[in-house]
Amino acid sequence: MTVSLRLVPPVTKVSGKGQRWAEARTGGLLALPAAVYFLVFWLVPFVAAVYLSFTSYDFAGTPEWTGLDNYRRMLGDPGFWNSARVTAAYTIGSVVPSIVLGLAIAVPLSKPGRYNAFLRGLVMIPAAMPLVATSMVWSVIFADKGLANALIGLVGVEPKPWLTDEGLALWALVIMTTWKHLGLFVIILTAGLQGLPLSVFEAAALDGAGPIRVFYRITLPLLRRTLLFVLVIAVVGAMQSFVPAFLLTKGGPAGATEVLPLYLWATGFGFERMGYASAIAMVLLVAMLALSLVQFRVLRGGEDG
Amino acid sequence: MKVVRNTLLTLVVAVLLLPVYAMFAVSSASDATDLGGFGFDISQLGAHVTQLFDQGGFPLYLRNSLILALGIGVLEVIFSSAAGYALAQLRFPGSRVLFAVIVGTLSLSPIVVLVPMYLIVKELGWINSYQGMIVPFMMSAFGVFLVRQFALALPHELLLSARVDGASELRIFVRIGVPLLRPALLTLFLLQFLAQWDNLLWPLIVANDPGLWPLPVGLSQLQTEYDFSIGLVSTAALITAVPPLVLMFLLQRYYVAGLTLGGVRK
Repeated sequence: MTVSLRLVPPVTKVSGKGQRWAEARTGGLLALPAAVYFLVFWLVPFVAAVYLSFTSYDFAGTPEWTGLDNYRRMLGDPGFWNSARVTAAYTIGSVVPSIVLGLAIAVPLSKPGRYNAFLRGLVMIPAAMPLVATSMVWSVIFADKGLANALIGLVGVEPKPWLTDEGLALWALVIMTTWKHLGLFVIILTAGLQGLPLSVFEAAALDGAGPIRVFYRITLPLLRRTLLFVLVIAVVGAMQSFVPAFLLTKGGPAGATEVLPLYLWATGFGFERMGYASAIAMVLLVAMLALSLVQFRVLRGGEDG
Repeated sequence: MKVVRNTLLTLVVAVLLLPVYAMFAVSSASDATDLGGFGFDISQLGAHVTQLFDQGGFPLYLRNSLILALGIGVLEVIFSSAAGYALAQLRFPGSRVLFAVIVGTLSLSPIVVLVPMYLIVKELGWINSYQGMIVPFMMSAFGVFLVRQFALALPHELLLSARVDGASELRIFVRIGVPLLRPALLTLFLLQFLAQWDNLLWPLIVANDPGLWPLPVGLSQLQTEYDFSIGLVSTAALITAVPPLVLMFLLQRYYVAGLTLGGVRK
C-alpha cells in the first residue's frame, strides 16, 4: 500500500467529544471478543482453579470445601514427591546441556557467511519438527534394535533397554528434549549474538584479546538478556512438558518418568480427583513463577532498570 | 582456521540431523529388524504413504489437524489484531483492566487451568466438538501483547491525518492498521499454527470421538494399534512434520522474529 503524506494542518491531536465517543465505541467493539474470551477461558478458570484446590471434587455433585486438606495430603503423597523429583531432574538435565551446547554452536554459527546461513537453516529443522512426531521418532531410536543401540554398539557397548529401564528412561527423555531444544536455542542465541555491537569486538581485537577472553569478558556479559530469555523459556517449558513423557514412556517404568504435568493429568482426568489436581496445578504455578523471578533477579542483578 | 571451523560445524549439524535421517530410514524399513540401519528404500516409503491414506483414520486426523491449526491461526490473527490495536491506539473504558488481565495471563500455562477449562467447556456442551477444541485456544495473551507492541509503533501522523480527513476509527484500523501490522500478524499466524498442529493435551481431554481427533492424538493411538508396523507409524510422523517444516522455511524470517521479539513465549 502506498501512502501519500499530504500536507496536514498543524494539529497534534484530534480531540473533542465526538472523537472521544468514536474511540470508545470502536475500541470497545474491537476489544470486546478479547474481553469475553479472557474472562471466560482464563480469568474464571484461574479463580476456579484456586478455589477447587481447597475442595474435594470429583465430577459428581458439587465441590466440597476441605480447606488445606489437599495441600496437606500432597506433603505426604509419595507419588507427588516422586513427580516433583522427576520434574526437577528432567528440568536441570535438559536445560543445562541445551543452553551450554546451544551457546557453543551459536558463537561460531553466528559469524557472517553464506555457508553459515545455510547451516543455520538446517539447524532449524529439529526446532520446527512437531513434538509429537519427534517423540515418535525417538521412541524408534530408543527401541531395542534402534539407532541408539546401533551407535553405542559401534564403540562396543552392550545394547540397553532405554525406555524400560528405571535408571535410563529419564535420560532417554532428557536426550530427546535436549536435541529438540538445541535447535531452538541456537536460533535465538544466534539472533542475539548478531545484534551485539561490532565496534566492541573490533576494539577488543585491536587490544589483542584472544577469542576465549573475548567470549568470557565481552560476549557473555553483553548476551545476558538473551541468555536470561532462553533460560526462562527453557526452565518453564521443561516444567510444564507433558508430551515426551506421555508418548515415550507413559510415565513409566514404575513412575521413573512421571513428570508433574503427567501426574496432574492422571490425578484429574484419570482418577477424577479435580480438587487435588488443582492443588498440584497451584504448586506447579507457584514454582514456575518463583523460579522465573529468581532467574530475573540473579541475571539482571548488575543492571539498572 | 575457517576451514577447521566450517568442518566442525558441519559435523555438529550432521549429528543433529541424524535423527531426522533416521525418521526417513525407518519410514522406508519393511520390518522391525533393521531399525538401526541406514538403508533408504523410496518405494517402500511410497507404499507406506499409500497405505496410510488408504486405510485407517490417518486422512481424517490430517483433516482435523488442518481444521484446528488453520482455524485457530486465523481466529487468533483476527481477534488479537483487533484487541492489540485497540489497546495501543484507542481510549476506551476498561482498557486498563483488560490489559492487566492479559499481562497476568501471560504467565499462566494451560496446564494450570486445565481442570476448570475442561469444566467450562463441559458446561457449554462442547465436549466432543470442534468448537470445544478451537474456542478455548482461539486467542492468546501472547498474541494480543505482540500486536499491541507493534501497534504502539504505528506512525502517529498517518493515523492522525486519516482522522482529520474524517475516516471512521474502524476504517482507520482496517485500511491503515492491519496492512502496517502485517509482519506481526504473519508471525503470529505461524507460531499459532505450529503450536496447534502440535497440541496433544487439550484435544486428548475434550475429544473422545476418534472422528474428531487431530494428528497428535491419532498418532499416539496409532502407536498402540497392533496392525501398524513401526515403519508405518514413522511414516505418519514424517508426514506430520512436513507442513510445519514447509511453512517454517517459507516464513523463516517471521519465525525467527517471533521467537526473538516475543519475549514471553510458551
